[in-house]
Amino acid sequence: MPAANSTITDFEITALSDRSVLVSFGNIIAEAINRKVLYLHKKLLQSAFNGFLESVPAYASLAIFYDVVQIKKHTQSPAFIFVKSYLQQLLLQINTDSEPAAEIIKIPVCYDAVFGMDIEHLAESHQLKISEVISLHSSVIYRVYMIGFMPGFAYMGTVNEKLIAPRKHQPRLNIPAGSVGIAGSQTGIYPVASPGGWQIIGRTPLQLFNVNSSTPCLLSAGDQVQFASIDKNEFEQLHGY
Amino acid sequence: MFTTIQDLGRSGYRAMGISPGGAMDHFAASVANYLVGNDKKQPVIEMHFPAPEILFEEDALISITGADFNAFVDDQPIAPWKPHCIKRNEKLRFKKYLKGARSYLAIDGGMASGEWLNSFSTNTKVKAGGHMGRPLAKEDIIFVNPAIVSKAFTNFPDFSKEIDTVYQPENIIRCIAGPEWNLLNDAAKQTFTNMLFSITPQSDRMGFRLNGMDILLDHPVQLISSAVDSGTIQLLPNGQLILLMADHQTTGGYPRIANVISADLPKLAQATVHSQLQFELTGIENAEDALFSLYQTMASIKNGCKNYYDAD
Repeated sequence: MPAANSTITDFEITALSDRSVLVSFGNIIAEAINRKVLYLHKKLLQSAFNGFLESVPAYASLAIFYDVVQIKKHTQSPAFIFVKSYLQQLLLQINTDSEPAAEIIKIPVCYDAVFGMDIEHLAESHQLKISEVISLHSSVIYRVYMIGFMPGFAYMGTVNEKLIAPRKHQPRLNIPAGSVGIAGSQTGIYPVASPGGWQIIGRTPLQLFNVNSSTPCLLSAGDQVQFASIDKNEFEQLHGY
Repeated sequence: MFTTIQDLGRSGYRAMGISPGGAMDHFAASVANYLVGNDKKQPVIEMHFPAPEILFEEDALISITGADFNAFVDDQPIAPWKPHCIKRNEKLRFKKYLKGARSYLAIDGGMASGEWLNSFSTNTKVKAGGHMGRPLAKEDIIFVNPAIVSKAFTNFPDFSKEIDTVYQPENIIRCIAGPEWNLLNDAAKQTFTNMLFSITPQSDRMGFRLNGMDILLDHPVQLISSAVDSGTIQLLPNGQLILLMADHQTTGGYPRIANVISADLPKLAQATVHSQLQFELTGIENAEDALFSLYQTMASIKNGCKNYYDAD
């Protein structure tokens, strides 16, 4: 039966710190692997063990943080061993066959060079017209693989291979909030102003991170995203929403 | 000067890229609260040297723990790790640097501060929590719970033995192997455990940049981003180390060669720029035992304080 075939067996559990473990599924960016990560993340939130604090999904790994003292109060074995065997049991039970596709979130982006400081250089170095960069970047449905680096920063992929671009040698000291960039085969949006080394090709008027909301991040791991090209007037109208 | 309101940090938001933050030295922050009869989760003021002058416009019961910056109330020196009554219109000052890196001020009943995602810790990156999401500045006013107290605290229990067990021996920092420890060859592993690493001035609440002998990999690696924690020691491509602290990013892409054990994080939080650290590798069970005994030390201080105030 399909469920049995897709049981997760290829993983490694190691200590990240003395209060967290890391379940690793490899060192590659691949949707099938990231689905395992997010499935385990979700499963753990549904059936947390006593002492579980939080889990952090990344491209191909899930970190699980726990309260060592609380666990040691109710088990004889070290907390690490307790958590490790709990996760091993959990991994036996799950499969990723039935995961429904996430809804597509549309994000408007103005690719004007006023906002996309690197778009002209990127087009030139890749022998593309700016309009081709825009259509290549906005025609793909991206997966949010993980949130990290800073509050609400979504690592998305993967970009069309014609757009793959290295990080800048000299990171910029201040990239404005909403800036959309490319690094390698990843694309992402800076939710708040920050130093950064990604090549910036545009800016979204949407607020990716809202400090006053109880759900401060627009995006979370597992979401699907598609960019829509807008002009400067539309940018001004949408700004702040 | 870098003074912020902190508590024990915000748990549960790392998956959104929001780091726990909170006091760099959880032990000193918790004990500061216990000493004035508070719950350990009350917000405290974390100070670096030079520390601010604070005028109290109300009577208050306070304590100062962690680093020793030679605290005075008007012209009277006051001892650290003890409760004190401070009178209306008296001024708390820190006269000179003595030891440690971060000092904590707790006030009976806590202080009014902004709560963001279940924590009063100041997150300067997104400007939230604590005092308007920013470090304290000249002329800021913090509302506190006025206390009608006048005591000398002469028979207050002495916790110096317990405190010493947390901070001694000073510069020996125990670690467990990190997920990428085995990328190091034997010579590189020995460099890590045998050599000293000093804390450079490029160090802050996000992390400490260390300076020491290069640790080089046989083959350069490209890792995809994955979670990190406070105490994670990352190896940079140039062979130098970064040690992540309270305001660390939630994920990173450098090899995580080791992780400082939780019981030694208070010691690390009090290590100053230019201190030399000696890393000592230990096993996960020892690390957990050390954390459990730190918890017991805190519980015994908590009980000592509680018994004192209950006996009143």
